[in-house]
Amino acid sequence: MILDEAEALLDPVSDIEGFMLACLVDASTGMVLASRKDHDDISLPTAAAGAADIANVLALLAGELPVDGLEDVMVTFRRQLYVIRLVRQDPEPQILLLVILDRSRVNLAMARREIRSFCASFAA
Amino acid sequence: MSQTSRFTRARQLTSTVLPGRRPDDYADLVAGRLRKIAAAHSTGMLPFSGRSDGVIYFRDGRVVYAESSRTPGPDTHAYPVPAEDLPPLSRIAAILAIIEPTVDATLELLSAQSRYAKFRPSRVPVPGLASDVSLEALLAEVARRQRVLSQLSTVLTADTALARNPHIYPDSIRVSALQWALLIRVRHGSTPRDLAWDLSRSVFGTTAEVYRLVVRQLLSAASDPACTREPGLVAMSFVRAVSVEKGDTMLTLNAAHAPGGTD
Repeated sequence: MILDEAEALLDPVSDIEGFMLACLVDASTGMVLASRKDHDDISLPTAAAGAADIANVLALLAGELPVDGLEDVMVTFRRQLYVIRLVRQDPEPQILLLVILDRSRVNLAMARREIRSFCASFAA
Repeated sequence: MSQTSRFTRARQLTSTVLPGRRPDDYADLVAGRLRKIAAAHSTGMLPFSGRSDGVIYFRDGRVVYAESSRTPGPDTHAYPVPAEDLPPLSRIAAILAIIEPTVDATLELLSAQSRYAKFRPSRVPVPGLASDVSLEALLAEVARRQRVLSQLSTVLTADTALARNPHIYPDSIRVSALQWALLIRVRHGSTPRDLAWDLSRSVFGTTAEVYRLVVRQLLSAASDPACTREPGLVAMSFVRAVSVEKGDTMLTLNAAHAPGGTD
């Protein structure tokens, strides 16, 4: 994590029921900017790198298909839910928010709404 | 300073670039020097000279800023010194505008085997919204970037001459604003480093973005006909770059195209 001071900015996300990990990633370089986690058994660098790779693959897809403006990606594992959201719609820098949630505790609709409103307030 | 101490000093400086020394030794040597500065909570600058001139600035043992003659500095016009009450995202973007060139310059200084000189106290420049970085976080990020560049090296490096695909049909492609900015600036022989300077972006970030354009066959390496085809089975993967860190061996499937590989 590069920006120590940015960790506190992720406090609102850590209040989501089932929260396990959140981080901000620069999509173009894969650099982790800030992170917050409640579980030590998740490798932050790997999770963040995976989020950046997914965003890059989807950007490749968007280059070939008539789709526009990636908002978020949800990856469902048996026990966890990964939500990747583009925080900033401006071209540069492209900052991603990755939130990992415990699937047995999370209310998906509520979590998604809270993440969306967090990103809106983050950019406001 | 006595004659003996000058000779000893010269030997210390040149020992890092003597032929036959493994690059890893040099990286360890520099990292060790940087860790000593960090552990002493020092404030000042560590100059580098050689293939890439530059400086790493410390404040209380944390890295505040770094610059290299081979990487662009921060774009101060894009991010003038902002007020403290910026929205969080704008604040992060402004800090990133300083941090990214710092990481980029450190990557260059640690990879180019420049010689470091004596650490000395100095004023620390504040080119924008200041934020310092822990040395260990910086070194970890530099190591990760080196592994990503190692993946890309089978296709291109920051100094690979590029050519634009002459058969692009604008109606059928969709590129990001940054990719378009890169495409329109590529002249025959431009390198990712040239483009980074043109756009005041990091060399690492530009090289990665150029790689994405090579994958889409919108650009190719100008000098290597093999690279005008598909870039091969090795794809850029940030996950693989961090999994190597845990002890895996990086898999290279098209080693024939790697530097020093056999065709």
